Amino acid sequence: MVKENELTSPSWITSKLEVIEKWARSRSFWPLPFGTACCAIEYMGVVSSHYDVARFGYEVVRFSPRQSDLLIVAGTITDKMAPVLRKIYEQMPDPKWVISMGACASSGGFYRAYHVVQGIDEIIPVDVYVPGCPPSPEGLIFGILQLKELIKRGRDRYSRKAEVSDG
Amino acid sequence: MRIPDKTKPYRYSLWEKLYLPAIFSGLKVTISHFFKNIRKSPFTIEYPEKRRDYGNRYRGYHILTTRPDGSLKCVACYMCATACPAQCIHIEAAEHPDPNVEKYPVVYEIDMLRCVFCGYCVDACPENAIIMSNTYDMAYFSRKDSIAGIDDLRKPFTVSQEWLGYRPYFPEERKVDLVKMAKERGPVAA
Amino acid sequence: MDKKLPVWVRAQDNYAGKVELEHDVDIPTWIVDSSVSKELLSDLYREEKFDMLLDLCGVDYPGREKRFDVVYHLYSFSTGKRLRVKVPVSEDRCEVDSVVDIWKAADWFEREAYDMFGIKFKGHPALRRILTHEGFVGHPLRKDYDPGKRWQLEEDKIYKPVFLNLPPEEDSMFERMTINIGPSHPAMHGTFRLMAVLEGEVIVDSDVEIGYLHRCFEKMAETHPWQQVVPYTDRLNYCSAFINNVAYCKTVEDMLGLELPPKAIWGRMVLMELSRIMDHCVCNGTTLVDVGALTNFWYFFEIREEIYSLLTKCFGSRLTVAGCRIGGFQHDLPPDFIDLCKHLLEIIPPLIEDIDKLVTHNRIWLDRSVGISAISGKEAINWGWTGPCLRASGVQFDLRKNEPYYWYDKVDFDIPVFYGGDVYDRYRVRMAEIKESLKIVRQLVEQGIPDGPYAVDDYHVMLPPKDMVYNQMESMIYHFKLIFEGMRVPPGERYGYLEGANGELGFYIVSDGSPNPYRIKVRPPCFPIFSTFSRLIRNQTVADAIITLGGLNIIAGELER
Ligand code: SF4
Ligand code: SF4
Ligand code: SF4
Repeated sequence: MVKENELTSPSWITSKLEVIEKWARSRSFWPLPFGTACCAIEYMGVVSSHYDVARFGYEVVRFSPRQSDLLIVAGTITDKMAPVLRKIYEQMPDPKWVISMGACASSGGFYRAYHVVQGIDEIIPVDVYVPGCPPSPEGLIFGILQLKELIKRGRDRYSRKAEVSDG
Repeated sequence: MRIPDKTKPYRYSLWEKLYLPAIFSGLKVTISHFFKNIRKSPFTIEYPEKRRDYGNRYRGYHILTTRPDGSLKCVACYMCATACPAQCIHIEAAEHPDPNVEKYPVVYEIDMLRCVFCGYCVDACPENAIIMSNTYDMAYFSRKDSIAGIDDLRKPFTVSQEWLGYRPYFPEERKVDLVKMAKERGPVAA
Repeated sequence: MDKKLPVWVRAQDNYAGKVELEHDVDIPTWIVDSSVSKELLSDLYREEKFDMLLDLCGVDYPGREKRFDVVYHLYSFSTGKRLRVKVPVSEDRCEVDSVVDIWKAADWFEREAYDMFGIKFKGHPALRRILTHEGFVGHPLRKDYDPGKRWQLEEDKIYKPVFLNLPPEEDSMFERMTINIGPSHPAMHGTFRLMAVLEGEVIVDSDVEIGYLHRCFEKMAETHPWQQVVPYTDRLNYCSAFINNVAYCKTVEDMLGLELPPKAIWGRMVLMELSRIMDHCVCNGTTLVDVGALTNFWYFFEIREEIYSLLTKCFGSRLTVAGCRIGGFQHDLPPDFIDLCKHLLEIIPPLIEDIDKLVTHNRIWLDRSVGISAISGKEAINWGWTGPCLRASGVQFDLRKNEPYYWYDKVDFDIPVFYGGDVYDRYRVRMAEIKESLKIVRQLVEQGIPDGPYAVDDYHVMLPPKDMVYNQMESMIYHFKLIFEGMRVPPGERYGYLEGANGELGFYIVSDGSPNPYRIKVRPPCFPIFSTFSRLIRNQTVADAIITLGGLNIIAGELER
């Protein structure tokens, strides 16, 4: 039972607002698919009718970093591409999350080679790694759902950072 | 072979010039699809409630198989690690105190984020000790979590038929008895 | 030409002692001194009608006095002959004459050879790196380059465009403007960067930068045993991974002189044709998305998903199948394979028909695509085009018919040819080819699966069946040897080729008898095609450039390897 003065106190309202905010955020990612290679083809599978990520509310694909909050890195990132990826990440407004799809993006995969970034965490922070080469579309959906849970519980990188700065 | 040095662009037929007939025939297609999809169940697979049947050869999360007594079948022979193109298998072997029993692995790790799920380790294993499941829902929150050790690789699968994926052979599809064939054939010539 | 040099070579004094014939090779090979290479190549172009430069690459032999070989592969459309020309150069005088003015296709190939080996091409208009980035030091495919040595690209080093063919500025209504599209732009299908000078909406000149997906396939192939290269080939043209598998395995099998059992050939043909359908589906689907026709995309992906089901049931993976092994298949085809194929043959044609009805005669699509970025057959050949794009320009060239491999001479199918050379005809060729491929699959399925083994039983190549490994000491030893020592391929070289979904997919493989390939050069069909892009989009609008790119079916994985 909440007392009346607690209901009207600003902290109660903001904390409830935060819950709503998290609820809304976790259910309506606007993904930016940074697709470079084979994984991007599987990403197309995710948005096409067999898997239809619209069932979860994640179908608003935006190719402009300024309009999206979820960066899905799908494909190999080479040293030539690295500055581009960094720039795109920097251009995205907060809060933003990153999913690294597939072995190449996560660790370089079996390309231990002179032109391949050995995991995008060399360049940008990553929230969820989805293994596979390529991950099946279900695998990627599973990864996004994991991120959703993380955000709902307030355990994602962004909320934790906010907590730290709040004290 | 005739090689033209000019191009001859397509000439519109009257039907196409009229514009509308083709548009309507297109609309007919989409509308008929609409009604078809209402009648029968749509293509969409309602993951995670439903799972697609990928067949019994799917290359997913690895399984380390065990003997009836619960010990690993693996004899730490390093064949899988050698055959792996991603070099993502790390094994440390230990000698069994009894010299008649084979070696066994104390550490068996697969870096799931390096692995490309090619199945070469399964093909390489001479003991049927590593097989693959049809599990594809995996996600990790950090690079550290992604190293699957012995416990992870054997824990969730007390090998039930539905979970099995890529294996050295598929007994459920077997029609011919290869063992018998091999015996009949006798030793292979060098 | 195979046994003796032709008369015009022997007659000329300046060729004396500088052109030699190499014996015991798969296709006629000439070794030419670098001082006369340009002269000889242009003579070959004129005298022997070698109108296409298929491939140009370098090979490094560190122990030799002349360390590098520049290898040209030529093809003649009028005689159907192939020729390999090797020009050895030494490390300190690492220079040959450029052949860009004979074959335009040489432009990017020479840049690649320069990038990978540091071989200079005298007379090349803009010899700079193509696949690696500007901050890169050294030449990665040289044998002494460490495969893992990376270099960072600093932001100030990023390539700034140079426009070579910019016409003089005239009095025009519009001010000139330079725009940059890509490398991360939805219209650039992944990873290409286009820098264009616009006058109003019209592109007057452009510069294309690639290499954003250079994953070092060729170096990786040199550091992995023969069988382990198969998964890497999956990732070349990932829209039709299986065709790459076959192209690689077939070349190595030919080097080994292996005769495949009928079942393996049959299975490969069925799956290759289905992969071709998939590839064309992606290409046409995404092109249509670029003009806003989204519905077709769903139908095309329906077809893909159905074929994926079959591939997963066979090999266990949707996209990167790693289906073949050198010597056949790793596993038998699943018992219900024929039924699955029949199911596909039932559901694909109605979907194709629907797409046909939706767009093929649609005026909007016609107006967007007819006459856009047209190129004549003759010019296309000079640029090195093959495959559907060349057939759209009126050249009836398909390796499945011209140089039949496997059983393509035993099945009945046509090669669709159109004469527009534009985006619309590229689309139509692909639609027609899907139908032809279905025809091939139907005939094969009617024949039924041949009996017998699915792989050769040479245990120096293929792993022995598992039951035998578990039960027989001898098989166990073969297994052990194959895993730890790998298979061996006799020293030699071979250029293997087959009709990929985009055109001639070639593998130039050099073996030195060691467990790893010595050198693998892929001839990616879309590499020469994409080098034409700047020429195609000149004087077209930006919107046209985008559908042109879609219609060419450029797959980054294959283009940049
Ligand atoms: S993880 Fe595999 S499928 Fe994805 S981009 Fe890398 S190689 Fe391609
Ligand atoms: S599936 Fe392939 S990459 Fe993964 S562990 Fe096995 S051999 Fe290595
Ligand atoms: S090949 Fe099999 S037995 Fe040998 S180390 Fe690997 S899993 Fe163990």
